[in-house]
Formats: sequence, C-alpha cells, structure tokens
Amino acid sequence: MKTAQAGTLESMDCLVTAGEAEKGRGISITMEGASVARFGEAILKTAKETLREIGVKDIKLSIQDNGATDLVLKARVEAAALRLLGGDRR
Amino acid sequence: MAVNAAGRNIPNNIPGYGDVLPFRGYTKRLPKGNRVGKKNRATFNTRTDKTLPNLKAAIKASGLQIGMTISFHHHLRNGDYVVNMVLDACYELGIKELVVFPTALFGVHKHLTKHIQKGVIKQIQGSVNGPIGQLASEGGMELPVVLRSHGGRPRAVMSGDVHIDVAFVAAPTADRYGNLTGAHGESACGSLGYAHTDADFAECVVAVTDNLVNYPALDIQIPQTQVDYVVEVDKIGDPSGIVSGTTRVTRDPMRLLIARYAAHLIEASPYFKEGISFQTGAGGISLATAAYVREAMRERNIKGSFGLGGITSFFVDMLEEGLFEQILDVQSFDLAAVESISRNAKHVEISADWYANPWNAGCVVNMLDTVVLGATEVDRKFNANVNTEADGALLHGIGGHQDTASGAKLTIITTPLLRGRIPSVVDSVYTVTTPGEVVDAVVTEFGVAINPNRKDLIEAAKSDPEIPLVSIDDLVEKAEKLTGSMTPVEVEDRIIGVVEYRDGSVIDVVRQLKKK
Repeated sequence: MKTAQAGTLESMDCLVTAGEAEKGRGISITMEGASVARFGEAILKTAKETLREIGVKDIKLSIQDNGATDLVLKARVEAAALRLLGGDRR
Repeated sequence: MAVNAAGRNIPNNIPGYGDVLPFRGYTKRLPKGNRVGKKNRATFNTRTDKTLPNLKAAIKASGLQIGMTISFHHHLRNGDYVVNMVLDACYELGIKELVVFPTALFGVHKHLTKHIQKGVIKQIQGSVNGPIGQLASEGGMELPVVLRSHGGRPRAVMSGDVHIDVAFVAAPTADRYGNLTGAHGESACGSLGYAHTDADFAECVVAVTDNLVNYPALDIQIPQTQVDYVVEVDKIGDPSGIVSGTTRVTRDPMRLLIARYAAHLIEASPYFKEGISFQTGAGGISLATAAYVREAMRERNIKGSFGLGGITSFFVDMLEEGLFEQILDVQSFDLAAVESISRNAKHVEISADWYANPWNAGCVVNMLDTVVLGATEVDRKFNANVNTEADGALLHGIGGHQDTASGAKLTIITTPLLRGRIPSVVDSVYTVTTPGEVVDAVVTEFGVAINPNRKDLIEAAKSDPEIPLVSIDDLVEKAEKLTGSMTPVEVEDRIIGVVEYRDGSVIDVVRQLKKK
C-alpha cells in the first residue's frame, strides 16, 4: 500500500501517516498518544475538517500524537494527505 | 455526601476506608487525646546480638500475621530491593491480606502486581508512583489506595489512625545491635528521615542491611533502642537507582524563563533578606529558580539560614559556599548530598515528623520563607493537583507538597502553561491535592498570577517591571485558547484513591477509570 508521512514525534508535534483507501471507502482515522484521552474528539474533528477542506474523501490516517495543537495537527494532516495524493487539490 | 472546603463532593463513608472527615481548611482540624505507642519491652545483657539468619526468620520472629500492616521507607527509590524481597518472603510463608504502608513506591515495585493479584497485598496506604498506580486506577485493587503527605503520614501513625505491625527498615549500614545509618555502605542513601516514625511506633522493627559492621556503627541515625531484629542480605538495592549522579539545572529556554520569573518574584518579596530559608524540588524549573536566587544572594550579599527538603548537590554547593547556615535533609537525592551528610555537621538529617507533621510542637515547614513547587495542574482557585495525570490515572504521591505549601510564607507553583497539548492551568483541577488558600503564586511562561488574597505580594511584585503580572483567569483563558476544550475523563463511581489532607481529613477522592 502506498503511504506518505508528515510531522515528527517531537513534543507538541504529531506524526501523521496517510494510506490509500479505495474509492467510496471514506475516511478512517486511528489515533494514539498522551493527549488522546482528553482531546481525542477534538483531534478527530480537526483531521476530518482539514480533509474536507482539501477535498479528500477516501483515505486512511494514523495519527501518532505527542501533544500537537490544532494548528500543527491541521498542517500535518494536510501535508500527509497531499503527499499521498500528489499535487495541490485546492 | 458533603461538599468540603476545597469544593469537592465526597461521600460520608468510603468502602475500605471508613468514615470521612471532610477537609475544612488548612488550620481547622486539631488533635484530641494522647499519642499511641508500641508495647513496652525489656532487653538485658542476655541478648547482645539481634541478627537472624534470613528474612523469613525475621518475619516469623516479628509475629507478622495475615491481615497486618507492614511499613517501608523509600530512600532507596527506584533502586530498592527490600520491598519486593519482603513481600516475596511473605508470599512464601503464606502470609496474605497485608496492608502495605510505604512512604512511596516506584517503578521497580511493579513486581508487587502479582502479590496484589494473588491476595498477598490487600491494600496500599502510600503513594503509588507508576505501574501500581495505573493498576489501581483501572480497578485492580480491592481496597482504595490512601494517600498521605510526608507530614500527614507520621501524624497518622502517632495519632493511631494507622498502626504499624512490622516496620522493615532498609539500612545501608547496621551493626548487630540494631544501630542504623544511611550515610555509609555500598547502598548509602544519606538521610533515613522517613523511617524514623516507623522505627519509633511500629510494634516490631526489622532492619535489613547489606553492610553489617562492628558495634557501634558510625553516624547512627536510627538507634538500637528502636530496632528488634537485624537481617543481613546480599544486596538491599542497586546503587545506580538509589542516587542519581549530578543533578543538573535545565537548559530549556522556556523553563529557564519560568524560573527567572519565579526568582524575580522571590527577590521582590519581603522574604528576600538576611536569613532567608527555602526549599525547592529536584525538578528542572525548581532547581533553575534556585540557581537564579543563588546569583541574587551573591550579588546582594545575603546569607540564608537553611535549605530544606529533598537535598541535591545544588544545595550542598550553596552550603559550602556559605549561602546557607545549615541543610535540613529528609531525603538525599544525589551522590553529593549523600557524601555531604556523612561529613558535614551543618548538613543535618531530620525525620518526616520533624520536617512536616502538623500535629507536634512545631515542624520545620512552619519556618520556611519560600518554597518552589510543581504541579500537574492548578486552577482558578489556586488549587493544585500533583496526584493524577490528564487521563485521570493516579500516578503520583503527595510528597511534601501539602506540608510545605501550608508552612511557607511564600508558596510558588511553577509550570509551563501547556505540557504537550495538555493545559496546566485549568478551570477546576481534576484532583485537589493542595488547597488554593495556601498557594500564593502560579508562575508560567505566559505570566505570573498572584493569589488575590495576597495583596501585599501583588504590591511587592509591581515594584519589579520584569515580573509579568496577569490574573489566574488570564492564564486559564490563554491555555484554553491554545488547546481547545478537553473532553471529561470517563470514570466509574467506585473510589480507588483517597487523598487525605495533612491533618487526616479528606480533601479529594480518585475514581476508577472507565474501560475503553
């Protein structure tokens, strides 16, 4: 399976790995990391919103979080997705 | 249910703990009646050697039975072998349902998990750092963990709240007649401060040593009058886990900035003058604050009276430089502190009772000018949490937090505003360890918030333009803006941890985490 990554495991960053999903399969996201217990829903929401903004409908994301704020998370998700799918989809 | 003075709704009775005395304020609960004590005993010249061949023989001699309470001290920290060794022996002897009453447990005590699961251990009353805390948080213990501060613990023993049946004292050096010291030996740990009350009040005291010397041992800390049996074992601990090498000041610029703000606040306060006393933790920001204060003391030619607490090389250097008259040491953290206590008469070992017990004729924390503490979180009312992490797991003990905060004239909590995405200044802390009424200032990289009750301190701080004063509400809002709002921790009703205030009232409880 083709994958692409963005981010690091430094404190207050996250490592996002994007993998291809078949058309119509939708978005699936897995998360791990210390903030997930209290920010899991927020992370999920931001990731989905970011994917919607760049028009990605089918993708698998794995987010290894080390305390990224929304701003950082958004950038990492966008970069990983675009690296996987190629080009500027906006 | 009743709401206590920290605003927490707590049941009147907790299964496995008993009736609850609600916390009412830091000076409100006073003792009644007399202290308890152990049975009288007599020893004549017909008995001049207290050694027994092994731990099992000592456990049998001690009279330890099913359901009794055994105590330990934590000066060997993560290098300790004694707690695991004793519980293994109890298991092999078929002694179970024990209440374990340590001053603290560490990662190395993960070994106890099997004894908890097999019923050798019924309850832990003491701090549960790391894996045992995680186990308890997930509901893996039958009875709730009871947490007490370094001062609250000796208070509980002396007042009779906790009766210790057998105290096991890990002794880096002992003689055959039961004189003990932590100052010498392969496993030297310096002060034995936390073990004194146990040695004084336990029904039976068993010393476990790996350095048996000729009578009398040098630099005796716990005397022969308190010790019933002595056992020699191969090793009581791993020296690399007992003391750290050199304690270093942080180089992280954000933490240095927080430390500088804290130091400026101390210098602007009325307490920064000849004879100042202070305590800092061994954490990065605390130590860096001490480094800045040391510079200021040199510059303004100020000499301190004493340094208190868990002692590091940093305080030893200050003593040797003449910046303190004395060090009062309840726990020696590093090699330099261990060496200092064994050779410098101005480096004095003190017991936990002497250090922090609210129910005696005066403990040292009452004489403290300034303490610099940390916390996992603080809230709008300046309440501090040091026990639970953001996910609601009970992973840390109270230590001297409640005691020093209540005693010191200036209590400062330093913390980065965020740890990862987790905010450290919040609307309401998950667990109240130390009440806001004894916390004077919260120092973060985004500003210094002073408790509105301390108008004098606010005025003093205004004199220094380098102190960025903000309100605690500003910090809460700033943090929330950066992180977004958190989803609440999901818990069961069952209480797995009881947080006592140092006076024995209950300040908060910790509930079992919901399975994910």
